[in-house]
Amino acid sequence: MLNTTTRRGTAALAGLASAALVLSACGGGGEDDDSLHILVVKHPLTGPMADMAWVDQLEDAAGVPIEWEEVSADWDQKKSTMLAAGDIPDLIVGTNAVTDADMVTFTGLFEDLSDDMDALPNVRAMFDAVPETELMATRPDGEVFSVPSYRRFWPQTATRQYINQTWLDNLGLAQPTTWDELHDVLLAFKTEDANGNGDPDDEIPVDWSPAGETGFGYFQPTVLLGSLGLPTTNGGGSGYFVEDGKVGNFLTDPRYMETVSFLHDLYADGLVSQDVMTQDYSAYQSVGRGDGDTAKVGFSWGWTASDRFGPQLADQYAPIAPLAANASVTGADLAWTYDSYSLNYGVNTITMSAQSTKKDAALKVVDAFYDQDLSLQALWGEFGQNIEELGSGAYNVLPPADATLDSSSWKWTTTLADNSPGWIRDDIEVTLPVDIQEAVEDEAPLTGALANIDPATDIWPGELIKMSAEDSSRLSLLHTDILGQAMQRWATWITEGGVESEWDDYVSQLDGLGLTEAVEIHQRYYDEYLANR
Amino acid sequence: MTSATAVRPAGGAAPRRAGSGPGRRLRRHVRRYWQLWAMVAPAIAFVAVFAYVPMYGLQLAFREFDFAAGITGGDWVGLKYFQQFFDSPQFWTLLRNTVVISTSTLVAGFVAPIALALMVNQVLGRRRKKFLQTATYLPHFISIVVIVGMLQVFLSPTSGLITRVVGLFGVDGANFFGSADAFVPVYVVSDVWQHAGWNSIIYLAALAGVDPQLYEAAKIDGAGRFSIIRHVDVPALVPTMIVLLVLNMGNVLNTGFEKIFLMQNPLNLGVSEVIATYVYKIGILSNQFSYATAIGLFNTLINFAFLVVANQIAKRVSNTSLW
Repeated sequence: MLNTTTRRGTAALAGLASAALVLSACGGGGEDDDSLHILVVKHPLTGPMADMAWVDQLEDAAGVPIEWEEVSADWDQKKSTMLAAGDIPDLIVGTNAVTDADMVTFTGLFEDLSDDMDALPNVRAMFDAVPETELMATRPDGEVFSVPSYRRFWPQTATRQYINQTWLDNLGLAQPTTWDELHDVLLAFKTEDANGNGDPDDEIPVDWSPAGETGFGYFQPTVLLGSLGLPTTNGGGSGYFVEDGKVGNFLTDPRYMETVSFLHDLYADGLVSQDVMTQDYSAYQSVGRGDGDTAKVGFSWGWTASDRFGPQLADQYAPIAPLAANASVTGADLAWTYDSYSLNYGVNTITMSAQSTKKDAALKVVDAFYDQDLSLQALWGEFGQNIEELGSGAYNVLPPADATLDSSSWKWTTTLADNSPGWIRDDIEVTLPVDIQEAVEDEAPLTGALANIDPATDIWPGELIKMSAEDSSRLSLLHTDILGQAMQRWATWITEGGVESEWDDYVSQLDGLGLTEAVEIHQRYYDEYLANR
Repeated sequence: MTSATAVRPAGGAAPRRAGSGPGRRLRRHVRRYWQLWAMVAPAIAFVAVFAYVPMYGLQLAFREFDFAAGITGGDWVGLKYFQQFFDSPQFWTLLRNTVVISTSTLVAGFVAPIALALMVNQVLGRRRKKFLQTATYLPHFISIVVIVGMLQVFLSPTSGLITRVVGLFGVDGANFFGSADAFVPVYVVSDVWQHAGWNSIIYLAALAGVDPQLYEAAKIDGAGRFSIIRHVDVPALVPTMIVLLVLNMGNVLNTGFEKIFLMQNPLNLGVSEVIATYVYKIGILSNQFSYATAIGLFNTLINFAFLVVANQIAKRVSNTSLW
């Protein structure tokens, strides 16, 4: 008995040792083998690359075997050390996996593709057909270090506004159209038993997605700035917006003060979730899904009703139009957050190493990603399983084969989805999956406000503007200080109040931290962008 | 480190002979003590490779980071990045937050294990003592991410266990995680809870070494339990205390990065942004390698100064010191 255990132990040890040897061989000797090394940054749900049938077509195009390095978590931390060591694979795939800031910091590490366009006919054709993609790809000096993707069918905004229609009906109330009406509705949600489960105190009238210390994002109350006619992009970001050709930052705009003040009124009346400033994204999501058939949240923002509140409660929620801050704001003034450049495009989706010893194969893979059929499959999954080909440029995205998954999770499970490079042609016909359909349908009440925004003149087109190394490193420094301060005030003002009395001090403080300089840098690039467009 | 210091007095004690040249002295030394040197060799090699060799990277603090030219190839900019840090509006906030968090952790984290060790030492019965000791040092092994997750659950303003308990005493709607005033107490108390048990082990070991005759003598002289603690136990712990305190002083500005970073939210950022988290945000997330190196170097110099001063004081006051 003892003998066999020992022997088994020795065998296990030997196995471990040889596994370690194999591992170290993989880590060290990437350069001299025949295969093309591609690092891919994936969504945590996404399965192994080997399970995706379309990957074989990439291998055929490359003419050499592909070895995938798959990263599903902590890419930012891994990336810094990998880039600083200068040891990168032939290709890096994933939306913004390599950022503009990386390209200016790590000069000489990435291959300039602008002189390889002859080898990239699909990419060249995309640049011609969708000029925004060329703007997104081209550095101020003309280099192309990374190619973006174009997804075409996504809605114009990520953030939709929802109210619990069942609660409104239970209490005999109408959908609010102004801030005051919203306030009254939320008070009713708070004081009465809106969800009808016998407990008048378990309703959370308002909840929103957690804003970090580095700026604003989707599903946050910054969309209320649109109630005062201020259009934002990507949920707010670092606060830049454009009005009459002038770049501004809403962090020091009086309309921001008004919005924060309104949010504090709501908070002071106990209408906002107590956890709103401290919860993480998963807590925010799970609270929104309520408890079985009992909804907990009255008013919130999300991508679609089923994504935000779960399939079981989605029917209770109705998408509603932007609210007017007061009676003097008319429908023609209302604005929203315009996110098309980040939803319909993916910046920097594929980047090539300048030290690659297999440039021809790598270029072939880059171009193959932008093939019509491969683009569709990388986005929604393989033909047969995920997509039905109807012939003559028509396609039908199939419902999930796994009945336990919704169509969005199904896409993320079976393919790279939005993380993939690719070009969805404007002249093909695609029957969209239900998650995109729902997002487009729930956007209907926002159509008016979105139509008020002309993307050419009314928003800060961050994705289309590329900055020099000096300016981008200056800005990242300024933003760390400015946003650290501003986000802290945002949180304190909403929970404790004081925005009106502290406003002037705060504005001069942000100015001292370099906000004016940061806005001037943005203005300079915006003027150039307008001149070139 | 400690083994290196252990060798030095032995080397110093080697008898010197008049007229012997340095070469001969060295040969004699090697012949006599080579086993000791062989024993510390791995430690020396470790420290050299992992602590001294990487120091060449420090020049990054005085250079403009240029990826194409390598770490040592950037343009020399002198103290530009130090100046930038001192002029930064964040400087005093960062320094204040770092000092407040680290000194409160240092003081509480120093006293608590001593008190715990003295207490455990008084518990009668081997089994009870073992149980108490194990129960208090177990939290040490919980990962920081889990600890912060637990804190978030326990302190949630709506459903938190501790919030509810506090509510029974009439404090309603306490939002520990969402309040800037509560950040430092929550950080320090949870830190003491997690590590006091583990850190008390070294004191328990020192107490186990106390000569039983001392206890008997004290009892015969009529000393009560508290007098025994005061006059026998505590003096036995003093040398250990001082060495640990001096060592801890060397880390005074090294706040626990992970825990603070995980506990940060916009509401407590005013007191929770410390040098370590700022370096991470500036250096790793914003690619400002030179600036981050300069701030890190500044942090290390302050730590070093604290270590030297604490050591000198300990030497004067109690004759116990690291060197």
